Amino acid sequence: MSVLLDLVTIVMVSAGMVFFLAGTVGLLRFPDTLTRLHALTKADNIGLGLVVIGLVPQAGSLRDGLKLLCVWLLVLLASATVSQLVAQAARREGDSS
Amino acid sequence: MAPGQNGDRRAAIVRTGLLFGLWTILAGTGVADLLVGTVVAALAARVSLNLLSPGPHRVDPATAARLSLRFLLQSVLAGLDVARRAFDPRLPLRPGFIVYPTAAPPGLFRSAFTAFTSLLPGTVPAGPAPARGADAGGIVYHCLDVDAPVAAQLAAEETALAGVIRDE
Amino acid sequence: MNEFLTVMVGLVLALLALGLVRVLRGPGDADRMMAAQLIGTCGIAALLLIGVIGGTSAAIDVALVLALLATFAAAAFADCARRTAQPGGPGPEAP
Repeated sequence: MSVLLDLVTIVMVSAGMVFFLAGTVGLLRFPDTLTRLHALTKADNIGLGLVVIGLVPQAGSLRDGLKLLCVWLLVLLASATVSQLVAQAARREGDSS
Repeated sequence: MAPGQNGDRRAAIVRTGLLFGLWTILAGTGVADLLVGTVVAALAARVSLNLLSPGPHRVDPATAARLSLRFLLQSVLAGLDVARRAFDPRLPLRPGFIVYPTAAPPGLFRSAFTAFTSLLPGTVPAGPAPARGADAGGIVYHCLDVDAPVAAQLAAEETALAGVIRDE
Repeated sequence: MNEFLTVMVGLVLALLALGLVRVLRGPGDADRMMAAQLIGTCGIAALLLIGVIGGTSAAIDVALVLALLATFAAAAFADCARRTAQPGGPGPEAP
């Protein structure tokens, strides 16, 4: 059982890292501010989500597991708001320059 | 005021309960934690009622769950979409702005719609369209691929969301 | 398991550093605002991994606070950017 849970952790956390890598690669390769914003928000949200799902089986208690999920939900909600604010600021910079 | 008061009390009880549940996850279930949590949950529910007054419609839990699932699925697709483009040696991007015309006035529904669509594959809302001109009232979206059927996708999301969240 | 997770912490911190260098080079303010978001995801992932490795659930609390602070920092930054962009403008628009 524990081996199976460890396997879930390894697969999920590794998959999460692939998305974090995609986010950083996009950040380095994409040509302008707004496309980089897409790379950062969308890839990293899923990366963090997969890491959280992978860590839940290793959490010491049910409460810690739920708390891990709360962290992800908070980040997801915050990112939905912050990405709009950044996009609006980037659009204004594009207009004025 | 009489018909609204019952709904207000109901909303206050439901929100206090939910916030108290959240508190026990974050702070624990010791005696002191629970005592402080009761006060905090009541205060937080009061603040939340001030910021977001309860609407006349009750939210159907099954519909809300379906919408959350859709939200989650779309954000996974968005991550995959960005990863595919980032790792592709040819860097397939056709970035640009489109204006999505919506009849939604500023308010809860419009805010929820822009938050919801900010996690869709290939789109980020970038503020309201200019107040004057043909696009007035619309929402500007930045897209990774302007040739994709972005407007149709946004319209589908707006319909899905309209079944759950409504302005009063 | 802990060896694997420790390697993952190193990896995510390396990606965070690489991304931060790119983001802080700018050129615009919006680019730099993304630093808050980057820390809000990569930094939190690192903290959660460390918390599970050491069995210290306090690290999860720190991650929660970091998520909150990163959000407020970005929102405050956006507000400042808007005010400097339109000093004599029609005032704050409805969110």
